[in-house]
Order: sequence, then C-alpha cells, then structure tokens
Amino acid sequence: MDELLADFVAETREMLEQSGTELVAWEADPSDTARIDTIFRFVHTVKGNCGFFDFPLLEKLSHAAEDALAECRAGRREADPALVTAVLAIIDRIGELADMIEAGEDLVEDQNDIALIAALETDAAIEVQSDVSPVEPVSDEQDDAAPTAAKRNTVQRSIRLPVDLLDEVMKGVSDMVLARNDLARRLREAGEQPTIDGPFERLSAILADVRTSITRMRMQRLEHLFTSLPRLVRDLSSELGKQVMVDFEGGEVELDREMIEMIRDPLTHIIRNAIDHGVETPAERLKKGKREIGLLRFAARQSGNQISLLISDDGGGIDTERLGQKAVAAGIYSQSEIERMSDAQKHQLIFEPGLSTADEVSAVSGRGVGMDVVRANLERVGGSITVSSKPGEGTSFHLHLPLTLSIIATLTVSSGGQNYAIPRSYIEEIVFGSANSVEFAQAGARRLITFRGRRVPCLSLADVLGTEDNERCEWETKTLVLVRLASDDVFALAVDRVHDHEDVVVKPIAPAIMQTKLYAGTTLLDDGTPMMLIDLPSIAQMRGLVGEMRSKPALAEEQSRKKSKDGVPLMLFRGLDGRRRAVRLELVKRIDTVSCEAFDIDGERAQAVIDGRILPLAGLEHGTLPEGRCRLLRLSDGDSELVYTVSEVLDAAEMTEELVVSANDASIEGVTLVEGKPVPLVDGHTLFFKHSAPKRIDHPLKCRIPQDSDWARTILEPLVEAAGYRIAHEDDDDADLAIEIAGNAAPHGPAKETIRLRPDPEDAGDGSIYRYDRESLLAELKRVRTGRAA
Amino acid sequence: MNDLLLMCTIAGRDAAIPALRVQTVLEIDDITPIPGTPDFICGLTPLRSQALTVVDCALALGFDEPCSSPDRRAAVVEVDGHLYALMVDSAQDVSEARSDLVAIPGGLGDGWQRAGLGMVETETGPVVLVDIEKIIAGPPALAA
Repeated sequence: MDELLADFVAETREMLEQSGTELVAWEADPSDTARIDTIFRFVHTVKGNCGFFDFPLLEKLSHAAEDALAECRAGRREADPALVTAVLAIIDRIGELADMIEAGEDLVEDQNDIALIAALETDAAIEVQSDVSPVEPVSDEQDDAAPTAAKRNTVQRSIRLPVDLLDEVMKGVSDMVLARNDLARRLREAGEQPTIDGPFERLSAILADVRTSITRMRMQRLEHLFTSLPRLVRDLSSELGKQVMVDFEGGEVELDREMIEMIRDPLTHIIRNAIDHGVETPAERLKKGKREIGLLRFAARQSGNQISLLISDDGGGIDTERLGQKAVAAGIYSQSEIERMSDAQKHQLIFEPGLSTADEVSAVSGRGVGMDVVRANLERVGGSITVSSKPGEGTSFHLHLPLTLSIIATLTVSSGGQNYAIPRSYIEEIVFGSANSVEFAQAGARRLITFRGRRVPCLSLADVLGTEDNERCEWETKTLVLVRLASDDVFALAVDRVHDHEDVVVKPIAPAIMQTKLYAGTTLLDDGTPMMLIDLPSIAQMRGLVGEMRSKPALAEEQSRKKSKDGVPLMLFRGLDGRRRAVRLELVKRIDTVSCEAFDIDGERAQAVIDGRILPLAGLEHGTLPEGRCRLLRLSDGDSELVYTVSEVLDAAEMTEELVVSANDASIEGVTLVEGKPVPLVDGHTLFFKHSAPKRIDHPLKCRIPQDSDWARTILEPLVEAAGYRIAHEDDDDADLAIEIAGNAAPHGPAKETIRLRPDPEDAGDGSIYRYDRESLLAELKRVRTGRAA
Repeated sequence: MNDLLLMCTIAGRDAAIPALRVQTVLEIDDITPIPGTPDFICGLTPLRSQALTVVDCALALGFDEPCSSPDRRAAVVEVDGHLYALMVDSAQDVSEARSDLVAIPGGLGDGWQRAGLGMVETETGPVVLVDIEKIIAGPPALAA
C-alpha cells in the first residue's frame, strides 16, 4: 500500500509541476479555456485518487475546485481574478497536503481549508476582495509548518528519472570498465609497480561498486507487481463464483523494471488459468474436504543471477487424461504416443499450442491460446517455465527469469578463427566429435549424428555462417553443441572449439546485419573486441529444423529406453595410464581443466588448488601428470571434495550390467560391462577414505596453554590446534583443557582437565608426558576431545 | 545554404557527408568480420563501449573495388539508433558549402545517382553530397 501511496504523491507532484506554468498563464488571462481544461484535469485526477485512498479533506478541496472550474467550462461562470486566486490557493494547499502524506502526518481539516472552499463561491467575492484573508492564513500556516517541514526532510526521498538517462550512465560506466581493462593489461605488461598498482586496485573496486549500484537503479521490488494481483484475483474469482485467497512471499526480491513489465502478462494468464481451471467452487472444495477458500501462492526467490517464481494453487490439478484426449483430438500426438508418456510429460502438453482442458470457452480463459504464448514470451526474455501438478492437490508453475533483460548467460565458441556467443539456455550438452559415442551419418544433403540412441540433425556453424563448405568440414575434429530449442527440437551445432561461460551484455545490431537472420545481437568482450551472439532459433528456422523435423519417434524411443534401462549413471574416463575407468556420476560435481602449476605434489601428499581452495588430488597412482593442462574430475561425497586426475573425460553411460566385485582390489567397487567392454568402477568409499581431509570441527574445544613459554606458543600451539582445539584466551571464563609445562607458570584460569608436560624424557612418575612424545600427547588430546564431545 | 560538409574521397571521387550528422572521424584498428553479411558491411569495430557497424562506402555505392585507404578512416554516424562507421578512401577537412544542392542534368552516373543527394560547390570545387541512409541500405541489388 505504501508503494501505491508513494506513487500517488509522486504523480500529484509531477502534475503540480506541470500545471505550474499553466496556472501562471491562466492568471494572466483567466478566460483562456485551454488552461482551465488543464487545471480541471489536474484537480479531477487528484479528486479521483483521493477517493481511492480515503483522504476526505483532499477530496473535499479538489472537489470544490473541480466544481468551480466545471462551471467555468460550461460557461455558467466567468473566470475572474478572484476565482483564479481561490483555485491557486487550493492547488497550493494540495501540494502541502501531498507533502504531509509523504511524511506520514495526519491530515486535519482546519479553518483555512473551509475558508479556501468558501472563497470559491460566486458570492464570496466580497470576502476575497479584501485580498488578505486567503493569503494571510496560508502564511500563518507556513509558520506553523516550519518545524514539520524540517522533519519532512528526513523522509527518504526519491526522484523519477528517464530510463534513457540511466542507460546513458550505465553505458558510461561500461566504457570506464573497458578503459580500466585496457589499463590493467598495460600495467601487467609493464610489470609490478607498487605505487600505481595500489591506487589502481582501489579504482577497480570503486568501479565495481558503482557498476553494482547502477544496475540496482534499474531494479524494482517484485512487490510492485504483487500489489496489483489481489485485485485481479478478487475480480476473477467473484466473476467465476469462487473464493480465492492470495499469499505472497519474497516481495522484496528485486528485478529489472523492464523484466517486471515483461512478465506481467504471462503472470496474469497463469492466474486466470489457475482460478478458472484449477481452483474448484466452494461447494466442490467442501465435498473434497478442503477449505472452501482456495489459495493461490506466489513465492519469489533470487538464486544467483536468476529469479525463480513459483505460482501454485491448491485446486484440482491438471487432468492429464483429458489433456491427453485433447491432444489426440487436436492431432498433436497419436493415442499410442500419449499412452507412452509419463504424467510429467503429459503436464507439459498444456504448453502445446491449441490445447485447452476447458470444454466451454468462458470469458476468462479456455480459448486455447495461452500457455504456449506464455512460454514463448518468457523464453523470449531468456526465462523458462515448467509445470508440476498432483491430481486433487493443485498445480505449480515454476518460472525462472534472468535478473536483467540485457545480460545473457552465454557459451563462447569459435569457428573459422572467430569467437561467437551462444545463449546458454538453449544448450543441452557438449560432446566432442571424436568421442566414440558419436556417429556421423548422412541422409541426402543433411548431416546427422547419432548420440545416445537419438538421431539428430547436425549443422556446422562455419557452414551456416558461410565461412566454410560442408564438404571440407572435418566433423571428427569439431566440438558438437547439442541445442534444444523452446519447441523441443534438438539439433547439433558443430563448432571448432568451446571456450568458456560468459555473462554478456547484449547490444542491438544494425538492420543490415539483422537481415542475415544469423545473429541476435552483439557484445563487447573485456578487451573491447566485439563478438556476435548467434540467433539459434532463427538459424534452426532457416534450416527447416523447427516443427516438421520434430523427431517424435525419438521421443518414444527415449521413453522406452528410460523404462528398460534404469541403470546407475556412470561417468567414463581414461586414467593417466590410458585405461578406461568409470566413476558414479553422482559423485562428480564438475569437470575442471587446470594447468600443472595448480598442483602441489610432495611425496605421498598431493594437492591441487581449484578456485582458491586446496583439494586433495587422487588418481596419481595410475601414471604421471601430463605436461601443461590437465583434466580433473571434482568429486564430492556431500561433505568433502577431492579432485581426480584423468587424461580424458569420455562420456556418461549407464551401468546396466552386473557389477562383478573384485575382492583383492579395494580401490575399485568392481568391474562392469559398458558397451560390451569391461570397465573398472572406482570405489568412492575407498577414495574418500584415503584422500579426504578430516572434517573441520565446528565447535572446537578450548585449551589453555602457558602464555609465558615460547615453546608453548611456537611448537605446542600448532599441534593442539591441529588436534581440533582452539587456544583459549585469558579472558575466557572456562576451558576444556589446560596444558601445564613443568617449570613454567601454570596457565591462568580454570579448566576441566589438565595435561602435564615435562621437559625431560625420563618418566617422572607423576603422569606427565615428555613434551616431545608426540604420539602420547596426541593420544591424550584425542582422549579428552572424544570424551568431551561424546 | 552554408551547411558544413565533411570532405572525403569515395571510390576515387571527391564527395561530402553532411558534417552535422558526423559524430567523429576515426581510424579503424581492428574490424571483427561478420560472416554472412553483404560485402559492403565489413564487420564491427569497437568505439568505447559501443560496437560500430563498418560500412565500406565504395562497395555500398555499388562499385566493385573496396575503399583503398592506408589509415582506414571512417565517419561515425547514427541512423535509427545504430552507429555506423562509414569507411572512405580518405577524409579531409570540414568545409562550408558554397552553393545550394543542385541536380546535375544527365545524372551523376552509376551508384552516385542513387546514393547522391546532388552536387554542391565547395572551396575545392564541386562534390557529390551523399545520402547516409542510402549508403547504409547498400547497393541496389541488396537494398531491393
């Protein structure tokens, strides 16, 4: 509500400013009807808004002014200077009241207001003639208002700015970032210069902050969108004879203003559908044992540079049977295809164009145009939508939206010696053309690949762009990017190399370049060179890969595959010795490629630095590390992580055959057959047992050590800390353990247990431990710790 | 008509671009080619944080030979919110038009006739004033 109020105040102020010049002009020539019209519109709008907000005083004032002006417009009354003065006084008062509303003060009607209204009366001319009465009280009032005015200044102030200006500032900052990158490169080339590097670092940090703030300027709280929804829901539900309650969560999530406008319509559509088809009538609900009031929930959450928005109702859920029948009736799928579909797949049918489960077309929804348009709109702005539903319990729509319109997550690829960006949202998988799971085939002029039992058409980016002929293309050397379009059409795009993930700011391109239908925009890399963003849907369209090429049998095949082989997913790789091995896919968190410098190998101990963390390194027993760059599988058991060096990552596969357990090799779970060849499966348990670092203890025990002993501080302290203790401070009231050293002052303060150390190796018979008897000391520390922790 | 003109050479002939529309003249370092575009579009070049579409004026007029310019000078203009760098053989000074725009009886000849607004007199003699929009639309075969 506050937001609406702020809007009202801002709007009133804006109109006040605009009408300011009109007022002056009107004063000069009271008979000017065009001016009267403008001022009339202003007071009329204020009156309308006041009624909505319940500000009777404001309404009364504006209503009085409106009446007087209406008389003038109708020609029943002459606009004389007296009337002008009276109207001006009222408009001033409206401005004051708007300030008070903003400051959150109560609007109290006083004598002045009555006088102001009275001054508008035709026969009030005498009263006004004195020329003092309307002016005097106002000045009086201003004196009174002085202290409150000071208070008003503390209110958070906001201004309205044209988006163009923001864009300009944003552009300026982007320029600065590019200039900084350029400077950074030159500084790097020039070598280390502490006097320059310091301030430069600071500049970079400030620039990053400014950039964030500017991005935030474009952001608006989702609340803004949410405030308009209860009304919509109320209107729709009363129209349909249903009762629906709305619940919001995450209104504080911020989203690009333009994005909010873009999702307004899709959201409205989903709400319509939910109320019309989802939520049952109160009687039905009671029969089903639900509360008679339906619930529509909106929950927004930010995760990374995405916003996820969940819209769920507690209605009847999607009728998959009916949806299936409709799909068959509409000729989109055959009966047998529908039968093979899982429920989840059937739910997705609501995104098919021309489908509606409503038998009757109501005024609200059911015309069969809807969810397909909703999906198309969301995907146009880089978002996605999924649906899940449980019969009798409700339906949820899950929307994923990028934070801004102009920043797109992309994958950079190269073709013909040049880099291009591909929107990441379309990319399903990346495979090497040389991988043996990929087979190339030719059907007519069309190149096809077979991958995971699917035959998908394959395009070469170089051919699409016209830089290289298909004839001369060496498919095996290419990297294939599997692209899944919004329409579920899949094709493979062959590129020379895949480089990196990058979030890019997309800029529009000139019409002459747009005409090629190959590019969706351009972006500037950090070093300032432009890179084209490939328009995949358009390319697919041009190559006839959309719609009719849809491989429906492939869908069915995939489905049956899933049913028959419900194997454990594995990741196949080649170890350093060149042998094929496998690891459970669930263990693999990601695949990294690092240079040899990231390794630190010293005898038994091997570690690698990945993303600023030191992780244990495994897989070295199979051979020596290659020169240069090395591929690593990052494995995780949920708590700790380690990296496993491989010479090559092969493919994902499913373990469908029996696992033959090997008794005398603990490093493998066993051997299984993948594509008819034996593959040893790395044992995750052994691996993590051998390599994982002990888990950090969350609540270390406190240990006191003598403060006056150098030996205690430099030698004992690290040992105690490594054993999972924290060194107690003198101010700490209690400690779990104290270590005393014979000959030194005992540690200050109480402790629950004490270990005594002696400087001589000879047993003194007092239960003390020789201070270099590492094993006994660790054993003792462990005993205390486990005893305590238990 | 004392309009300011950017004097330049396109396809070996003296020509002029309305100077008021020219934001700056720059020497292009790197051009990122865009495969699949018509020949007269050379590619993109960065100017601060913007990407300019580089147009070869000679090719855009329908000549066979591209601009031959040692320092690759280009005039930066904005059309419909997009920035273009019009690459010319050479760009000289800005000078004043000494006459109104006049049509030449019998036309200006190939290419020039389509993309030329007409002829103006300047200090250095008559030049063809080119139509920026027409240049950006490219040679007739493509513009059609």
